[in-house]
Amino acid sequence: MNKMRSRFVADYGMLFVLLLLCGYFSWATDAEQSPVGAAGGRQVASLVVEEKGPDAKVLIVVRDTAADAAFADAAAAKLGGTVVGIVKGQPPDLREALEKLVDRGVRIDAIAATQSIAAWTLVQKIDEKFPKLAGVAVVTPHPFRWPNFLTSDNLINVANRIAVIAIIAIGMTMVIITGGIDLSVGSLIALSSVCVTLLIERFGGAENASPVALVLCSLGGIAVCGLVGLISGTMVTSFGIPSFIVTLAVMLIASGAAYKLTGGESVGRLPDSFMWLGRGTNLGVPNAVILMVALYTVAHVVMSRTLLGRYIYAVGGNAEAARLSGVPVRRILLVVYTICGALAGLGGIITASLFKSGDPKYGPLAELYVIAAVVVGGTSLSGGEGKVLGTLIGALIIAVIENGMNLTNVESYTQKIVLGAVILGAVLLDTLKKKSWWQRRMPASETILGPP
Amino acid sequence: MRRFMFRSAIVLSLLLTGLSSAINLRADEPSSKGTIGVSLLTLTNPFFKEIGDNISRVAAKQGYSVVVVSGDFDVAKQQNQIKDFIVKKVSAIVLSPCDSKSIGPAIQEANDAGIPVFTCDIKSLAPGAKVVAHFATDNYQGGKMAGQAMIEALGDAGGRIAILDAKQIESCLLRVKGFKEVIESHNAAKKGGAIEIVAELPSDGQKERGYKSAEDCLQAHGDLSGIFAINDPSALGAVAAVEKAGKADQIKIIGFDGQSDGRKAIKEGKIYADPIQFPDQIGTKTMQTILSYFEGDRVPAEILIPTALYRKADGLKDASLK
Repeated sequence: MNKMRSRFVADYGMLFVLLLLCGYFSWATDAEQSPVGAAGGRQVASLVVEEKGPDAKVLIVVRDTAADAAFADAAAAKLGGTVVGIVKGQPPDLREALEKLVDRGVRIDAIAATQSIAAWTLVQKIDEKFPKLAGVAVVTPHPFRWPNFLTSDNLINVANRIAVIAIIAIGMTMVIITGGIDLSVGSLIALSSVCVTLLIERFGGAENASPVALVLCSLGGIAVCGLVGLISGTMVTSFGIPSFIVTLAVMLIASGAAYKLTGGESVGRLPDSFMWLGRGTNLGVPNAVILMVALYTVAHVVMSRTLLGRYIYAVGGNAEAARLSGVPVRRILLVVYTICGALAGLGGIITASLFKSGDPKYGPLAELYVIAAVVVGGTSLSGGEGKVLGTLIGALIIAVIENGMNLTNVESYTQKIVLGAVILGAVLLDTLKKKSWWQRRMPASETILGPP
Repeated sequence: MRRFMFRSAIVLSLLLTGLSSAINLRADEPSSKGTIGVSLLTLTNPFFKEIGDNISRVAAKQGYSVVVVSGDFDVAKQQNQIKDFIVKKVSAIVLSPCDSKSIGPAIQEANDAGIPVFTCDIKSLAPGAKVVAHFATDNYQGGKMAGQAMIEALGDAGGRIAILDAKQIESCLLRVKGFKEVIESHNAAKKGGAIEIVAELPSDGQKERGYKSAEDCLQAHGDLSGIFAINDPSALGAVAAVEKAGKADQIKIIGFDGQSDGRKAIKEGKIYADPIQFPDQIGTKTMQTILSYFEGDRVPAEILIPTALYRKADGLKDASLK
């Protein structure tokens, strides 16, 4: 039992770092929130009655959004006949509406509005701008405190922003566990986005492409990148060139090819249905996030419960020993590089779908973020060791830091320094924990054997 | 065990102090009237840095806080920054889009959240994405100014000139358009020496490419007397080519931008003059417009900042070049 627990700590220690960061940013982004939507509208209606009596003439002011429309409708329904008007829009719209109302001599006792409207200078200086409206009460719902970070919208935001990196990081984890590295994934994002868009434009019917054509073209894009991965793998296995050099070269070739295919432009004659993957949601969860979770589930099972998974660890632990014990080392490496390339291709398709265009400029430095996610997740660059789910945690750590810093007003230069420092700190923590604590508690042999 | 505890304590405290020193503890100061989210194309180019700094300066005076982040030419990164601004419920968003078309969905998301969006320097060309106002240099007027500088530089003699352009960039097309119009009307008026445009070569706005194109041009037209380059790097490339050919006295170069390298070259007499851009004014005007928008003023959809001509005499007086 104790053994199991320490193994869990060693493998998923980064989970605590992730939770720590979430806790920190929850504390740091604690802010005044104001009820929105129908609930806010009902609340503001009762506040108006409380403050100004049931006969007060009320102007309802909201912005032109779905949530604000519900706010206005609920407030109007509750206030009934005392509502003199509803204004939907931005400050200039409100000013125009007020000018008209004042001209017509309409009496206004209170303005019922959301918190963001009350912050407009126009509303704050209403006495100055409209002397006839002096003494009008601006009523907003009662605020409450809640962290901006910890809203469901933002948490989905965090998962969604890292989906592409996290998906590619599955393949990268496998490559790194075999002791290699793949620097070409960033360029493959661009190449795949360009390939799939051009395939749809040329053969799929451009804007009128059918869903079947879209799927086939997407598979084409993934296949191209899978093939590129296979070529990298062949170079590594058949000619013994270090993977770092092979994939560095492939990175340049793939990027150049993407630029050449489109002449440096972005291409985007795509049907709206193509955006399903990148922008669509299911029960509020983006499809890209659902895909990410599904792929991690599959990858976890493959790596921990199948022969392929065991072979990948064996190759990384000691390739020669693995070969002598009958592991098809070359074939395993080819499979791993192909998977990594294909997943990068999938990442490119998600990106193309998100922006409804293919562009050779997509994915700059993506390979470094992917590698950072894998390493922060506890996978050793020397191979043979690591967990796919750890990589997911590593990717989420990067996403949380980026998101959290944007929420806490950190400017760009500092963001880079902090992100670098946190990656370094996280890896340092992981290394220390593995070396001095977990090794002391566990028999040395277990660490060498690796996962079950 | 104790050693581990000690070490991890150090690492942990490093992590946390790093974070908290970087972050001004609590994000929203109650005194602030609201936050303006700014995401620029890049912050490594001083042009954009200055836009951001001036937005912050004007906003701070009025009690708004500003967060300026860099899109680093990556539209995916910029989209995430905009999403974070929306979660933060900023009062307004200012962008220099990393891609005029792909930025569309992000702007639409801000539209759906009721947050007004403004653009600086680079326009959004995405259909369906609503932008309140766009702020940029008046490149067409700047091009005209460059044309006048060329006429002034060549004087009564006139001569044959070349243009180093960058056809893929909208703002550079406008510069060339304004330049040519002035030259044509000068020739039609027949007041001074006639100016003939003998070549238009690509520079991509880069020093190296500008150098190569200028060199080719000098081979083809030995009697060249002027070059108009659409920005400072390509003008500096032309300077290098002209100096190498030993024709610095014969050929007058007009640049564009007024970045510090360009102004230095003007001071040294290597470039005759630049119509200079004013990123500080773009930033200031952007924030002032946002403030008046909050007061309920209708604002124009496009606000162009005129350029001014910068000659050697301005360079000698320029304190920032010392």
